[in-house]
Amino acid sequence: MSNENTAGVDTDRIKKRLDSRKAKMKLSLAACAHCTLCAESCFLFNARDNDPTYMPSYKFINSIGVLYKKKGVVDRATLEDIRDVVWGRCVLCTRCYCPFGIDIPEMIAFARNICREQGVFPDYEEKGSIHAG
Amino acid sequence: MVKAKRKPLEEIADAISAYGKVLTVGCGGCVSVCLAGGQREVQELNAELELTLKEKGTSKTLGNYTVERQCNMDLLQEMDDMVGGYDCILSMACGAGVQLMAERYPNIPVFPAVNTVFIGVDRDIGMYEEKCRACGECVLAYTGGICPVTRCAKGLFNGPCGGTNNGKCEVSQEIPCAWLDIYERLKGQGRLDDILKLQGVMQWQNQLQRTVVQPKFEKRYYK
Repeated sequence: MSNENTAGVDTDRIKKRLDSRKAKMKLSLAACAHCTLCAESCFLFNARDNDPTYMPSYKFINSIGVLYKKKGVVDRATLEDIRDVVWGRCVLCTRCYCPFGIDIPEMIAFARNICREQGVFPDYEEKGSIHAG
Repeated sequence: MVKAKRKPLEEIADAISAYGKVLTVGCGGCVSVCLAGGQREVQELNAELELTLKEKGTSKTLGNYTVERQCNMDLLQEMDDMVGGYDCILSMACGAGVQLMAERYPNIPVFPAVNTVFIGVDRDIGMYEEKCRACGECVLAYTGGICPVTRCAKGLFNGPCGGTNNGKCEVSQEIPCAWLDIYERLKGQGRLDDILKLQGVMQWQNQLQRTVVQPKFEKRYYK
């Protein structure tokens, strides 16, 4: 069992959400061969000097991948880290290309949905708030 | 980005008055950034509506959800299983989002909860300024990066008009003359020749619904 401090996070709800798309999520995570071909299709990756943390594969593995691996048992800080990835490093332009057909935008949108449900989303009223676009 | 402003509460309440179950849907795109229709604004609107209804001694079922972008069908379709339980949808997206939502769910009335105002820039948090009217024929190259369609009250292409007065517009002394600003900008860049080139009449393209297809995709969409 995880020893995360999950106070303020409805882990059962996250698990339920993860289960609703488990098959596709599992297949997507298993299918990623880390080939990095998706990187070239990401305009943010190109605009940020090929920073590997902007690779679409990095973004979906470090968001929905984390939630899946931890079976939804995550603390708020983890959700906030995921928020910084799925909003701060992705504009959800849906242009990323995967030769294996992984729907990366769908996975990132899914991670955003889960964060939103837990009340973790960008605060645009804050100066310098995160949004990639 | 697109900028919007929430409609008055009374107008929204009036639009949904005939419906018992209302789903308020936010958009995670432009309207979130301009603080008009994101997740936070959805929750605020529902709280205000609940209070208004309570004051009137009535109540409704008010659901809330925020999709990442209402102007993208792939992202919108996640609502398919949800909307059946509601009598109407209150969309907090821009006009494009509201219309795509209405197209996706043609049997459910969709009402806008925001007024889409313009394409503009962020001056500060909560303060936005119009910069573009999407006329479809950008003239910024010869106007020193200042849009006469947006900034000039008359939208003049060969300005200024006779109403310019000490750098202000005849419409209001509060409004700077766009064409004076264009002149100063071009002068500073040593490009005053540009202002002397007469510009022809714009072929206004916004009378018909426009579609953009990028050249490299023409083969895909035009058979």
